Amino acid sequence: MADAEDIKKKIEIPSEIKYIKKMSREILGHLERLGIEESIRFDIRLAVEEAVKNSIEHGPPQGQSLPVKVFYAIQRDKIEISVEDRGEGFDMKKVPDPRTKDNIMRGDGRGVFLIHKLMDKVAYNKKGNKVTMTKFFKGLSGRV
Amino acid sequence: MPINIEEKDGVKVCYAEGDIDINSSPQVKKVFDKVVQAKSGKVLINMKGVGYIDSSGLATFVEVLKNFRAYGGKLKLCNLSSKVKSLFEITKLEKLFDISDTEEEAIKAF
Repeated sequence: MADAEDIKKKIEIPSEIKYIKKMSREILGHLERLGIEESIRFDIRLAVEEAVKNSIEHGPPQGQSLPVKVFYAIQRDKIEISVEDRGEGFDMKKVPDPRTKDNIMRGDGRGVFLIHKLMDKVAYNKKGNKVTMTKFFKGLSGRV
Repeated sequence: MPINIEEKDGVKVCYAEGDIDINSSPQVKKVFDKVVQAKSGKVLINMKGVGYIDSSGLATFVEVLKNFRAYGGKLKLCNLSSKVKSLFEITKLEKLFDISDTEEEAIKAF
């Protein structure tokens, strides 16, 4: 991995699906330049796009289009990404397991599950409208 | 999201390309809705050109599979990249779908 100063940035994304890819491309561009392997970039892309998509689809109060805040910090050994919306939040414990017999044929409901599977750490604020995800780069896994 | 369709040994082989995500999923669904409307009996989706899929893409495949099953059509997938395949495994969708490593294997197995 190339040497790099820490990269930190805050972005506000309009609450529209078409802006998701532009945001993830910016983050992935940094990671590619730093030599982060493709498999890890795939996981990070999926997690951040799913988180922003959830914020756009479920975050803003009905009838309102409020921007989603994304903050990312890239260090030598990890990336931390926060996604925050202005919605009422949600209770992670109420998200059903998409792998069960009752849910496997459902079309939706896999986004949050995948975020948890692909990132090393995932935490929510108390209100449930901000998720912070961490991925450690090769050889420095934060899994416990 | 271009999807070319070829007929091979009585199987409709659909070549998917690019990302299958929230942006492209509606187009992908439209293509397979037409295949379902034609009540094609044997359909193979070759995923060799697909480098990325998200939960919307997975949802689209589940919907397509349900539509195939509704009329007794057979649907198989092949040539998944290791990352795309890992998503099918993590979500247990690999148990729902018939997935082959190669196109030849999949066509033979119909």
